[in-house]
Amino acid sequence: MTQSIHVMLVEDNPADADLTRELLASGKLQMTFTLAHDGVHACELLRAGGVHGSPLLPDLILLDLNLPRMSGREVLAELKKDSLLKRIPVVMLTSSDAERDVAESYDLGANCYVTKPLDLNGFHAVVHAVENFWFSIVRLPPKS
Amino acid sequence: MKRISAWFDCCLKRPLAGAVGRWVPKWHGFARSGDAQTEELFRLAVEAAPNGIVMVDERGRIVLVNAETERLFGYTRDELLGRSVEILVPSRFGEIHPSHRAHYQHEPEARRMGAGRDLYGRRKDGSEFPVEIGLNPIQTRQGLRVMSVIVDITERKQAEEKFRLAVEASPNGVVMVNESGEIVLVNAETERLFGYDRSELLGKSVELLVPARFRGGHPSHRGHYHHAPQARRMGEGRDLYGRRKDGSEFPVEIGLNPIRMREGMFVLSVIIDISERKRSEESLAAQARELQRSNAELEQFAYVASHDLQEPLRMVASYTELLSQRYQGKLDEKADKYIWYAVDGARRMQVLVNDLLSYSRVGTQGKPLMPTDAGAVLDNVLVRLSKSIRETGANIERDALPQVLADEIQLGQVFQNLIGNAIKFRSERPPEIRVSARLEKEGWIFSVSDNGIGMDLKYADRIFQMFQRLHGMGEYSGSGIGLALVKKIVERHQGHVWVESEQGKGSTFSFVLLPATASLEDA
Repeated sequence: MTQSIHVMLVEDNPADADLTRELLASGKLQMTFTLAHDGVHACELLRAGGVHGSPLLPDLILLDLNLPRMSGREVLAELKKDSLLKRIPVVMLTSSDAERDVAESYDLGANCYVTKPLDLNGFHAVVHAVENFWFSIVRLPPKS
Repeated sequence: MKRISAWFDCCLKRPLAGAVGRWVPKWHGFARSGDAQTEELFRLAVEAAPNGIVMVDERGRIVLVNAETERLFGYTRDELLGRSVEILVPSRFGEIHPSHRAHYQHEPEARRMGAGRDLYGRRKDGSEFPVEIGLNPIQTRQGLRVMSVIVDITERKQAEEKFRLAVEASPNGVVMVNESGEIVLVNAETERLFGYDRSELLGKSVELLVPARFRGGHPSHRGHYHHAPQARRMGEGRDLYGRRKDGSEFPVEIGLNPIRMREGMFVLSVIIDISERKRSEESLAAQARELQRSNAELEQFAYVASHDLQEPLRMVASYTELLSQRYQGKLDEKADKYIWYAVDGARRMQVLVNDLLSYSRVGTQGKPLMPTDAGAVLDNVLVRLSKSIRETGANIERDALPQVLADEIQLGQVFQNLIGNAIKFRSERPPEIRVSARLEKEGWIFSVSDNGIGMDLKYADRIFQMFQRLHGMGEYSGSGIGLALVKKIVERHQGHVWVESEQGKGSTFSFVLLPATASLEDA
């Protein structure tokens, strides 16, 4: 596990994106980030990765729900329809705790749903739990 | 007296069967002298009759009067006998009267005089009084005599007048209708309400006052009423309208009363114009709707505002915190202090916004009220509170709790806030908390009692208001939303909440919930 882990963050709020990146980067693991600032951008990047070769594809996608142009829901639906992209685990990372959003996300094939805690310590804990679970415990799909 | 008795020189013979109606009794001579006694009896009977009796001959001359006639008209019998009967008739009818008499002699029969007309007698002093007169032809040897029986109907007329005035003065429209639906009586208010003169209504069908669209069905309603007549409201539950002469309509309320008279059954309708009442009802309903709308809008606003405020606030709070974590002690002391102020302010604002959101969610995000096991709800709450219960050494006693009509999550919030408060506002003693429920007429009364610091009851109302705190920031945590939330939730459950407390002794918070079997008025 010396290879760097690649995380794609789909988040329209740069402050939020920076915060997430900051917290992930403060962990033990070596990570590279790709930031998509809306749903359309995310799909473009992922398709390009699919065409140019799997090394460009992320190991994990952190997906916000409320995004301009194309919502997180739509991005999720697109991904799970794509034979190559559907393997990539998607973590919904959103401020919404509405039951409907949770249910819809799982229906569309989200791998897990996390509500962003309001305070920094809580958020810190969540980000590290996600990091620990997906990169230390879980066996990720092969990149072929 | 002698002269009167002279008239009874004959006896009455009973009519033959089958001759009724046109029967004219004939006087026949007494066969035996012993009949003088009978004659005296007749004389006395006529004299003592409670009605005036006047007999006239073919030329209209008075040939007999009794004592009551003298009393009624103020003449002595000497002044009347031999005079034309017109002396007793008001002068305005004096001219026509002889022709009526002639007509009667042509067709003599026992009947009432002047049926349908108002009759008056004329006293010696010229004054008049209302009368009813029965006419009876009597054939004597001397020719046809006509006996008039005169009843003074002054009192009856006065009673009728009183009735008429009462009806006339009624502030409601009064319309009396006969069996075939013809209007036989209306009062002044009816004229005013419908814009008709009474002469335009009397004798007309009552459907004239009914809007055209209901006219078709009205006669059958009337028929139905005649089958089951009783004092009741017309068209219970339906909106009734009257139709004015100009075709316009107005809302009415109508009371129906059957009145049985000799002539048949009549229906007396009392009509109330309820336009004003309808208008005020409508404006009241409009106000209630408006209030409901603005309340919902306010709630929605509070929800959206607090929800949307959370996001940017999270950024402020997170970054000030990150700043303090990363740069604590790296700048100067003042910088540390300023950062701390920013962090603290942001945190407190987060609590407020979050509480505001919870508060507005009571109305906007509440679930329907369902039969709920209050005991199970309390179990969950105690698990959630187990850490602070353990830490404070609180002892919690509880009754078996009933099934109630509730939103499970919200009921949990109520228990959590009340028990949380009981723990938070504890005295030096370990908290003793008791949760109980008893069934009263208004529903299940739940109580949460503690042995905590208690409070002055003059603050009892204030503690249920949003963001009202009795203690300084430093003493107890919290924004002061807890009890406001409890109040709002309980009220959404159609209940209410109150507090009993004594400073230093403890508090009891009670609230009412409907039993699970209750039906909701409007939820």
